[in-house]
Amino acid sequence: MILPYYMRLLCLCLATFFVVHALGWLAVRSMAAAVVRIAGTMRPRMASRFLFALRMAPAAVTVFLIVGFCVPSYVWLEPDLATERVGWFCLLAAASGAAVWAVALLRSTAAVVLTGRYMRRCQAQTPRERADDFVVVKDSAAVMAMAGVMRPKLVVSQMVLDALSIEQQQAAFRHEAAHRTSRDNLKRLLFLLSPDVAPFVGGSRRLERAWATFTEWAADDEAVDGDQERALSLASALVRVAKLGVQGSPTHLLCSLMEDDRDLETRVDRLLRAPAYAEKPMAPVVAFMRSAGLVIGGAAATLLLWPQSLGGIHRLLEHLIQ
Amino acid sequence: MNHALRQPWGDERPSSARVFLGPLEEDVMDVVWRLGAGNVRDVVRHMERNLAYTTIMTTLDRLYKKGLLDRELTDRAFVYSAKVTREEWDRRRAGEMMAGFLQGPEESQHLLLSCLVDAVGTHDAMLLDELERKIRNKREELARAK
Repeated sequence: MILPYYMRLLCLCLATFFVVHALGWLAVRSMAAAVVRIAGTMRPRMASRFLFALRMAPAAVTVFLIVGFCVPSYVWLEPDLATERVGWFCLLAAASGAAVWAVALLRSTAAVVLTGRYMRRCQAQTPRERADDFVVVKDSAAVMAMAGVMRPKLVVSQMVLDALSIEQQQAAFRHEAAHRTSRDNLKRLLFLLSPDVAPFVGGSRRLERAWATFTEWAADDEAVDGDQERALSLASALVRVAKLGVQGSPTHLLCSLMEDDRDLETRVDRLLRAPAYAEKPMAPVVAFMRSAGLVIGGAAATLLLWPQSLGGIHRLLEHLIQ
Repeated sequence: MNHALRQPWGDERPSSARVFLGPLEEDVMDVVWRLGAGNVRDVVRHMERNLAYTTIMTTLDRLYKKGLLDRELTDRAFVYSAKVTREEWDRRRAGEMMAGFLQGPEESQHLLLSCLVDAVGTHDAMLLDELERKIRNKREELARAK
């Protein structure tokens, strides 16, 4: 099929995205069990960051390769010929890439819209003076959650407030504040935006589930920060909320105090043992990550400015397009 | 209590055949699962009640014939090992029981479902009570330490 210059570029980008992302996705998926085991040996916050990075890696690396290499090599080295044909494999891969992106965009848009609607419904039940970053709902369900992406708000139902003592409320609020500080809802949105190769197979679910578990544990640790009394208050708040009944989350962009009671026993046991201190940023690790980022960025920039690398990529793209 | 089981390993018996275990057979299977493998003497030693060597020997032989155990002749004595895992056995037994209820009249189906819902609810409530008790104990422990 003959396509105009920029349509060919779009087609190539989508096809490259599909092929490279599929390879990365398969690699991460095949390592998922081992990765989760390794994460289990780390402290919760570090484990959740590690899993988040791996979950996002295939999409992030692929987008970087397309923006950094494919597009420049095409724009600089591809002559604007009207006669070049696009092969069926390329078209098929491009269509698959477009479908994967469409599903990712649809589900993330749906999540944002649903969350907005949920927040408006909650705020309609709240007296105006309390509506800044704290929403009390007179729902029949037990809710305590941080909802929203850019400016998340704490949503709590009156029945939960009534059931918890002041100490328990404070411990639970600290837990939710930890979710806000670590921008967990934004990460959830990025998960939705970072597409699966086969959107309905859900190959990344194992990583996401493990991430959610470690994120809860990390928020518990940060809420408690080594204080045994606070740990007991948080543990009893968890059990009280579980007794009120755990409801399914109305939207994906929401971090509940008790999202899933399957992990309740483990969380309570963790809190009753010597409670962990909030992880302080580890200077050597941060320095190492920054250095690694600089080295990778530098190598990528060198490759980008090196004409032969773009030439090599352009030849690969020529194979793909035919 | 006897339990029925559809043959899970199905090479020696027709697939529709069911295996019934008596209390002694269940106890012996428990010991074999715990040991992994053992001869009659090992099983006798690990039984909770005192039973004659020949009783255990007969029971093991019966379990072998029912297809639940494997045996190998070592030093003039049979060493028995389980042919099915405890998990497989429990799963089959539960499946058989459920299938029996679901094939029955509508009332027994409803009875089964309501029992399951009650059991899950009771289990959850018991777990939450247990967690509350743990928290209370820890709180008391801390208060005593102060």
